Amino acid sequence: MHAPSEPALAALQSQMAAALLAVTPEAQQLPPELFAGAHPGAVGLRVHRNTLLGAISNALRMSFSAVDRLVGEEFFDRMAVEYARAMPPRVPQLDEYGSGFAAYIERFPGTENLPYLAELAAFDWQVAALGRLCHASEGGAVLELEGHVRLTFATPLRTHRAAYPVGQLRAAILAEDLETLRAVDLTPGEYRYALWRSDQGVNVRAVSVVSARFLDAALSGADGTAALAAAGEVEQSAAEVVATLAKEILPAGFVRVETIAPQSV
Amino acid sequence: MNPVPAQAGIGLRLPHHAQVLASRPRAAWLEVHPENYMADESARAELEAISAHYPLSLHAVGLSLGSAEGVDQAHLARLRRLVERLRPALVSDHLSWSTSSGHYLPDLLPLPYTEEALRIVCRNVAQVQDFLGRKILVENPSTYLRFAASVVPEAEFLAAVARTTGCGVVFDVNNIFVSASNQRIAPAQALSDWCRALDAGSVGEIHLAGHARVTVGSGEELRIDDHGDHVCAEVWTLYEKSLAHFGPCPTLIEWDTRLPELPVLLAEAALAQARLDERQRHSYARAV
Repeated sequence: MHAPSEPALAALQSQMAAALLAVTPEAQQLPPELFAGAHPGAVGLRVHRNTLLGAISNALRMSFSAVDRLVGEEFFDRMAVEYARAMPPRVPQLDEYGSGFAAYIERFPGTENLPYLAELAAFDWQVAALGRLCHASEGGAVLELEGHVRLTFATPLRTHRAAYPVGQLRAAILAEDLETLRAVDLTPGEYRYALWRSDQGVNVRAVSVVSARFLDAALSGADGTAALAAAGEVEQSAAEVVATLAKEILPAGFVRVETIAPQSV
Repeated sequence: MNPVPAQAGIGLRLPHHAQVLASRPRAAWLEVHPENYMADESARAELEAISAHYPLSLHAVGLSLGSAEGVDQAHLARLRRLVERLRPALVSDHLSWSTSSGHYLPDLLPLPYTEEALRIVCRNVAQVQDFLGRKILVENPSTYLRFAASVVPEAEFLAAVARTTGCGVVFDVNNIFVSASNQRIAPAQALSDWCRALDAGSVGEIHLAGHARVTVGSGEELRIDDHGDHVCAEVWTLYEKSLAHFGPCPTLIEWDTRLPELPVLLAEAALAQARLDERQRHSYARAV
């Protein structure tokens, strides 16, 4: 049971892994004498290379669905394969793979006319991560405002900040609504979103900077006074802050509002 | 934990969750890839609800039982948490490797069948079984290349792993057909070799699936185990022979690429069930 030229398994696996992820045809080859099947070893290696790179592309496609739709399957595969070769997965849970993809494609050749692509990818990633969580009916952040109103937030709930209107872009891309897509104002700026999980899936709502600051503070455990103060740091009067919150947050579907009954003495 | 019966089950994939939960179709048991549920809390909750109604098998693809660098302890710990939560009747993975130098390559990569590889696989399987506190099953893979260093026939290699570690075997009939075809060996001969090598009691599960046929550069045909089609006639014939040799076994229809509507999958399982029923009748007739 012993071949004289038997390579140590660790060395063989390391060599084979490198060949499977290699870019150039030369580096993709292994010495032909390693193989003895009916087909040349290179044929089998090609099958494995296609399988594993295809699996990685498909996993990334699931997490970056709007990017995939926007650039098309063929171009997405190119980006995915190059990313896989540069940063191969480290765990078998491929839905956790891709945290660096948005940054990787930021200056990917051929995307120069899509300056928002990396931002869209980061938003896709946030939506996918939230989609893997369960909606819970209890346990969301609770905030009391001036002892009169109690806000109970949906859970899980996140905020997202982008330099482009990625929420509007993503919705139009996934709906294949070209008219809306063309009408999206792509002026760079500060765009904020609230994302939350319900039984139906992930919901997205564009919010103002004021509301986003209020939500960030609430989600990080601040009390009502501190959350209002955080929201007010964007130079609005207290009345304007409350008016903005009342307009954007209260009807949004991710918060339950209760009036606190005055305690009898 | 509900035991998996010697009947036909189906591979459950995420797009079918809602329909299975809503309609609870007739399937004797279900098998899932645990890696799809480790990071996805939402899918896991659905699977927990489904598993209340069906015996469950966890068929892993990420343990990398053939890795020289050993089994990833973090992944193993995640698998154990899932096993404790879902209490599946069966847990299995493949005779292959997929990790090297800390990277995970999502494919079932082939091993050279050497003494060193045998020691490594046995060490890894034993470690997994110790950690999980239960026996696992190991599946024969489809192969597209053969190493010159291989000195042990694949069937004898897996039989030795089973004897040494006490693990069971997932006997994948489609993989035997694909590998034999790719290595230009008569599939019936390959099946005989497998039946001769394995202890009958070691086979805990049979897998059936469809595969693709592609033409490679030299104009020769290669069969690819893509789980993307109906089970072909030749594999049904090998399955009938397998049942005749090993007796009725839990049998799974796997379908992963070009996933069809659930009724198509169930109809394929019914074809396997008909053969299992026939084998049961035959066994009963012989017994009386």
